[in-house]
Amino acid sequence: MDLLSQWLSYPAAIDRILSIIGIELHWIILQYVLGLPLVILIALLIHKVSKNNSWLKLARASSKALGIIFAVGAASGTASEFGLVVIWPNVLEAAGRYIYFPLYMEIFAFLIEIIFIYLLIFGWNKLSVNGKIVVAFLALFGAWFSASMIVSVNSYMVAPTGIAPAFSQQSGWLYDKGFPKVLLIVPKDMVNALDIVKLQSLGMDIIGPMGEGVAVYMPSKVVARLAAEAWSGKTIQESVLTAVIKPEVLPGLNKVLVKDLVDAILVKTVRTVGYTSVAFQSPVYLGSILHAFGAALVVTGFTISGAYALLLMLTKRNSEYYRNCLKFGILFSLVAIAVQGTLIGHMIGEEIATYNPEKLAAMEGTSNSVINIPRALGIEGLMKIIIYGNPNANLPDYDSIPADYCSLSGIPAISDCRPPIIIHYIYYLKIGISILLGLIALVSVVLIYMKRNLGFLLYLIAISPVVAQLVSFLGWGTREMGRKPWTIYGIMTVDVAHTANPASPAGYAIIATIFIGILIGLIYSIYRLLFIPSVRGEE
Amino acid sequence: MSTPVFFISLVLGVHIVAVNIGIALATIIPFLKRKADITKNEGLESVSHSLFRIYAGTYALAGVMGTAFTVFLLSFYPEFIGVAGNITLVPFGISIISILLHFFAIVAYWYGWNNFSPRLHQAIGWLLMITAYTIPLGFRAVFAFLNTPYGLILKEKPMLDIIRALLNPTFLPLYLKSIVGAITAGFLFIAGVISFKAMKSGQNNVERDLYISSLRYASIGLFAMMFLGPWYTLALVNVPVKFNNIFSSLGASLQAPTLSNYSWLFVVKMILVILQGILLIKLLIPAGQNHFYDTPSGYRASILAAVLAALTILTGEYLNAFSQYPFFVANAPLIVDKLPEPYKTILGRALNMENISLLAQDPLLYAVTLVGIFLLLLAAGYMIYFVFLKKEK
Repeated sequence: MDLLSQWLSYPAAIDRILSIIGIELHWIILQYVLGLPLVILIALLIHKVSKNNSWLKLARASSKALGIIFAVGAASGTASEFGLVVIWPNVLEAAGRYIYFPLYMEIFAFLIEIIFIYLLIFGWNKLSVNGKIVVAFLALFGAWFSASMIVSVNSYMVAPTGIAPAFSQQSGWLYDKGFPKVLLIVPKDMVNALDIVKLQSLGMDIIGPMGEGVAVYMPSKVVARLAAEAWSGKTIQESVLTAVIKPEVLPGLNKVLVKDLVDAILVKTVRTVGYTSVAFQSPVYLGSILHAFGAALVVTGFTISGAYALLLMLTKRNSEYYRNCLKFGILFSLVAIAVQGTLIGHMIGEEIATYNPEKLAAMEGTSNSVINIPRALGIEGLMKIIIYGNPNANLPDYDSIPADYCSLSGIPAISDCRPPIIIHYIYYLKIGISILLGLIALVSVVLIYMKRNLGFLLYLIAISPVVAQLVSFLGWGTREMGRKPWTIYGIMTVDVAHTANPASPAGYAIIATIFIGILIGLIYSIYRLLFIPSVRGEE
Repeated sequence: MSTPVFFISLVLGVHIVAVNIGIALATIIPFLKRKADITKNEGLESVSHSLFRIYAGTYALAGVMGTAFTVFLLSFYPEFIGVAGNITLVPFGISIISILLHFFAIVAYWYGWNNFSPRLHQAIGWLLMITAYTIPLGFRAVFAFLNTPYGLILKEKPMLDIIRALLNPTFLPLYLKSIVGAITAGFLFIAGVISFKAMKSGQNNVERDLYISSLRYASIGLFAMMFLGPWYTLALVNVPVKFNNIFSSLGASLQAPTLSNYSWLFVVKMILVILQGILLIKLLIPAGQNHFYDTPSGYRASILAAVLAALTILTGEYLNAFSQYPFFVANAPLIVDKLPEPYKTILGRALNMENISLLAQDPLLYAVTLVGIFLLLLAAGYMIYFVFLKKEK
């Protein structure tokens, strides 16, 4: 199988590539915005207890880095926000209408961030140590509050609240029963207009009255079709709904937009669930937000380790400040990667296994058309234990996923509904590099506490920030690429989310070049403004 | 006015004032820095550095309020965002890229001050200045579209003919009027800041020169506005409902319905402009041997002129926006009924600001928003005081 071609075959390939570049630029930066305030806070607390100025210097250097990074992050965030509006306007419209609350609250988080991060940076010389600690805590709170809001929306896209997956250990794939399905609350007057028998023949399960409507599990292929019709301006007479609406009421509804009908169902559903909590109730939210924090702390930890390892190597100054910061960075990285890899990674893995079985099948490469890494390494049983706690568990079989499970009679126009199997290699590459990073941190900590020279490890630590960012990118790639061809899993496919008027490839190439140029400029700025003065001994 | 419109107006108002002052500062500071480098004038460099510090603050405020504006629009009017997003890739694209480059230029210019080579620093300064003008280029193209949707093609899918959109008769006067207005207000802002400092702790020669130059350039800008304002007014002939909403009570109306009366806001704006003109004349034309601008009363007059300029920007923006309320597109009442389905239905409601998203009509949400904005603006005010005004111990 041509893995890359499969991934590119889903609609809007160029737009997806541009989004990867833009959002990855933002994510590279965001991880430091999440991680550095915690480093500053810890360093200030240690300084307060120990009175050792090394920690104050670490906090100061970190706050300067945070200032530069946050400013560029605010810009890349604005660019991402507008980018989403103009490239994926329909998913933004849906998010704005049904799960807007976290985005709305993020305004306040952003304000808290900007106020306290800049108060910390520009008010540094005017703040007492206790004042710095309080402001650092508030900056941390703002950053983590912000991430908690945004990740809830992303989690909803990965596994919407009310999703019923198409796989169970006992029965295997459940596509023949209409799964995956989405729990929706249909207004009672609308139920009266529907031919229930026909809907049940399409796989719809009626749960019963709930609030002011009737709860149903609607097959995703029906939901996806309705979403496609809604966002292409179709009326009911042009819709598949004509087949399930009672003939006696159909004439009165012919001119009604499908979008209005879909809207009535979704508004009723969100109202019943609660508009403030619907995104947070995504079954993958807890694992996702913890995983995002974990990734940020791993990247930040290795970046601090790498920076001080480089300073030790380049300056040849074996100062207490450098040694303390290196020790701190390595220990921080080890704790972060251990918790991330074992506890949080396992949690998100279980959530994905339960709610995104197609993605799990692709991640585990359960296809005969690719070389399966766990099988090649002889660790298939181990992977089953990790995922399901049972070496004899059944992994979902990729080859058995119907290529058309996300569309109804060819709408939406997706030729292959299976997730891209390239994520099998992306995921295992990520796991492999993560283990290496963890080992580097572990051995380094052992050597440091045995007061032994780090030797060659210092070189590995120096490049570890890039490697940690790569791991984070691969993880994020698995999550986002692995959701395709869905934009909101089980609800909206990528072609429906996409703009009606994309730009030319040349236009996208220019924008991508500018994004990459900004990233290079940011790295150069950090190098010139923080690293070079440090090498000169000015900081 | 509904509560969501109040929130949107509030953040838009703060955003616009900060952005306008920012456009002027982003233009002036690179010139001042370059002049300081060439003449090796440390005093001038110090002034330009201080101004840049203020600029970074205003831009941060503008950025946050701009984000809040977008998110409020998305939350209260998602269908409008969906419609706009599908057709405005190019104008928004110009602004997005410019914002990205501008933010980066701010960071690099600030941290590169005395760290980068003069040539590199200067190049970043030019980038800062150019992008300050390309950001509103895209946004004003969208605003012109919101006056009258030139270039909109409604076939199987909605599309935008970019060339025709840029030929929108309201685009160029709106853009130029915005830019010149921003520069005028920015110069008055600088004069006001220097006056404030002069009243507190005196002013040096460099500051005095900049103060006088700022007043002069502001008066030139205000003079130019005497032509640009009427040009935009004439262009509004293409937007007859808006024209009538502003001018019908003043005796001028076109063949179109008058849906609201914002003549009073226009009159307020004109009074503000006239007051600025009077203050600038009083400040710049010598009466006897003493210059009024060098006196404490002159400093107070300069500060007042800066405040009036900010209020002019605010009233101008509100006039432009509210005179088409409740429609996102000013000409919507004239064109929507003539559109084919489904555009007639979709645009009919998406362009109506009274059609607030059902799930965003919660009084508790509004109360939380009000308290949140109040507390955070208070915190922002304290931050500005702490960083800019509080002395180090």
